[in-house]
Amino acid sequence: MPTELLLDRPARFRDLRARVQVRALPTILTLLLVAWLLIFIAVPVAIVLARSLAAKGGGITLSHFAAFFGKAYFLRSLTNTLILGTGVTALVMGLGFALAYLVTRGPRALRFPLRVVALTPLVAPPYLFGLALIIVGGRRGFIAQMLGTQVPIYGWPGVILSQVLSFLPVAFLMIENVLQSLDPNLEDSACDLGAGELDLLRTIIVPLASPGLLKAALLTFGLAIADFGNPALLGGGLSFLAPDAYLMITGEWNTEMASVISVVLLVPSLAIFLAQHYWLKGKSYTTVSGAPTAGEERSIGPWLGIALILPCLAYVAAVVASYGVIILGAFTKLVGIDNTLTLEHFVKDVGPDAIWTSVKVSLSAGLVSAVVGTGLAYLCMRTEIRLRGFLEFITLIGFALPGTVMGIGYLLAFNRPPLLITGTLAILSLNMIARFLAVSLEAGVSKLHQIDVSLEEASADLGAGVLTTFRRIVLPLMSSAFVAGFLFTFMQSMISLSAAIFLVAPGRLLASVYIFNRARDGDMGISCAMSVILIASVAVCLWGLSLLTRRTGMRILAVRT
Amino acid sequence: MSDQTLLSLDGLTKRYGAVTAVEDVHATIRRGELVSFVGPSGCGKTTLLRLVGGFLRPDAGRIILDGEDITALPPNRRPTAMVFQNYALFPHMTVAENVGYALAIRKRSRTEIAHRVEELLALVQLQGLERRRPAQLSGGQQQRVALARSLSLQPKVLLLDEPLSNLDANLRIQMRTEIKRLQRELQLTVVFVTHDQEEAMSISDRIMVMYQGQILQAGTPSEVYEQPATPFIARSVGAVNFLEGVLTNGTRGVAMVATPLGTLVIRSVVEGVTSGERVCLVIRPETIRLGPPDDGAGPNRVQGRIESTMYTGALIRYSVGVGATRIAVDLYDPRHSATFHEGDPVTLILPEDPHLLPA
Repeated sequence: MPTELLLDRPARFRDLRARVQVRALPTILTLLLVAWLLIFIAVPVAIVLARSLAAKGGGITLSHFAAFFGKAYFLRSLTNTLILGTGVTALVMGLGFALAYLVTRGPRALRFPLRVVALTPLVAPPYLFGLALIIVGGRRGFIAQMLGTQVPIYGWPGVILSQVLSFLPVAFLMIENVLQSLDPNLEDSACDLGAGELDLLRTIIVPLASPGLLKAALLTFGLAIADFGNPALLGGGLSFLAPDAYLMITGEWNTEMASVISVVLLVPSLAIFLAQHYWLKGKSYTTVSGAPTAGEERSIGPWLGIALILPCLAYVAAVVASYGVIILGAFTKLVGIDNTLTLEHFVKDVGPDAIWTSVKVSLSAGLVSAVVGTGLAYLCMRTEIRLRGFLEFITLIGFALPGTVMGIGYLLAFNRPPLLITGTLAILSLNMIARFLAVSLEAGVSKLHQIDVSLEEASADLGAGVLTTFRRIVLPLMSSAFVAGFLFTFMQSMISLSAAIFLVAPGRLLASVYIFNRARDGDMGISCAMSVILIASVAVCLWGLSLLTRRTGMRILAVRT
Repeated sequence: MSDQTLLSLDGLTKRYGAVTAVEDVHATIRRGELVSFVGPSGCGKTTLLRLVGGFLRPDAGRIILDGEDITALPPNRRPTAMVFQNYALFPHMTVAENVGYALAIRKRSRTEIAHRVEELLALVQLQGLERRRPAQLSGGQQQRVALARSLSLQPKVLLLDEPLSNLDANLRIQMRTEIKRLQRELQLTVVFVTHDQEEAMSISDRIMVMYQGQILQAGTPSEVYEQPATPFIARSVGAVNFLEGVLTNGTRGVAMVATPLGTLVIRSVVEGVTSGERVCLVIRPETIRLGPPDDGAGPNRVQGRIESTMYTGALIRYSVGVGATRIAVDLYDPRHSATFHEGDPVTLILPEDPHLLPA
């Protein structure tokens, strides 16, 4: 019959074309991606490793490590860094748990405001609280000016305080996620069987949340030891590893010692990563799948209530005060001393140029990261490529490594042909992409988990080829993951400092680095003004991101940061 | 069974924003009784159970248990125990630790806990599985552990929230018997929530049919099945035919009802309906008999034609067309009965004692 013939022919033709596409496309894309990931993630890390072991005349030597561990100065840096990591992790975990507990189980009226405040540090450069602290309590800060006394903010108190404020949001998000995904029936059931609130915490909540809590603690520890900005601004006489690495490069061009420090910083990060990836995998008791339920209010007794709410209030006060100080600093001549309102800090010097450069770098990084990340997610989830595990692994390594290490790695890897890109804006973009690609991948994978394969099969069943299916079905459904990956990469690129500070050429300006340098030089007005612009732009992104994740049920940031 | 009231719900109301999940519910439950709340999802039955368990606070009303007002007590201080729909077994604890949890919280001695756990596991026939984790158990075993755990404190009322809904059909019937056995053996007072009317009827001393946050009818399973208070209730506890008609003559306990099928003779007790009023006859499919066409003489015989048949093993359900009306008829034990085929003309023999509702 004629109708049959009409239907038959194009179907066969499509089938043939589809088969060719199916075989060739993923392979080509995979090879390209593998090359990319090797060049921009594996090679820089490998070069750092090689440099730390390279002997002067060629060959392998441990002499650089011997020099590191033989020097009292570096050993003190190492000890300081470890103490800092431990202390900050303990404080962040306590505070993060209190906040997350109140936000998931506390009085409803408190939940939203607490959550907003807990997350606000996400939009600020990681040294913003250091900056605020210096304005208030620094050597020329307004307490010193007005009261004539010095506040001992330099050294331990300052670094710990500013780090706690900086790293709390990520830990909070992870703990909140864990507490939210515990089956509420388990707690109800324990309560039904006579458990009081402390019994609940001790026998049910903490044991069940422990894998997630451990993960959050490991991550916080990694962030704290690799942090560059806060120790550099507020360390005073104390030495820490990340600033040491910076000094080794900028002061002495001692790339061997900088590489050794990188390796030392890399060990805990890598351990954390491997622990997350292999050991903690499948150890989760989080039993509720899909959208977390809004838990019932739990009646919290007076003692526990006070123990939970006091630290939270202190934290809220510190965050609000910091933002207040930065905003005041941006709009006054010299906050606390000359409170005349002014907009001069916004136009003075080359601040606006720096912001513009940051926007360019971050935009390009965001776009590429989103395209590559979602594409990678599709390859990993929907085709049977052989290198899937490897691709995921490398991507996550890029995310897990400290910025300092990735900065030094890029500096060493790309300062000679064939890839001589040191000093360009491209190296900054590429670096950001390599470090945040994992989040785009995560967003894509999580989205694809939501999209049933049968949708694509239905499309194919109705006669569409692979490319048509991808264009008409997959792309529209994945667009939210694409936007999420873009926003996250953009945000992080705008505020990240630790890698960028190695890669910005002397003549070039990048907002996060520029603000940091101005702050170190004591030029607080400009620092504050540029921070305000940076925070505002990042805040808009975060708002968009949260809107997106809420609307689509995608899970990023909190799951495997 | 004593008639003493153990639990009474006194005007319970629970609202979520504009939605009223439970509205002014009054109910009493006697000591040693097994009562089911049955209704479609969203009818408020689980909310009601959670109110009794103390997991929700009512917006109005009181809960009196054994003479004590427990409305304000948190779950950990109420003498009630709940079995959750998903069992809510603690995944990080062994079976023994789960069952002994309540005793451990109360700081009982280790030997006492061990002894009691052994006793409870014997009760639910799970000896030997003490060291297993919940994830290593089958659905039925998990159910038993949840039951044992909820009994560990000898609760005054056991609350079961759709406890059988996660089990497959055979296991469900087995566990149903098991729960009934435990309830009789230990003389438990049980409140059971289910959407499955057959389950509710088979297990309960009384059932309470809920809809839109209210109890529509409470009674023994046979009362609710045979004398439903409304067409909705009639439908929610089983298949049913409704025939509307006008009551024409009501002398000496014999009435005539003019229906679309013709005038039927009704000998049911008719209360509160006078001649000339519209009534609704509630006729269960298994109360109608089928005969060959023109099957003798007698009252309530109607000629119809088989429109469809559905064989389910235990019975055949026929849909019989009489004019524009379809009547469902169940024929049990089809192997030993005369059966009919699609298109066959038949005689319907309608019961003379159907339940009557005002239309």
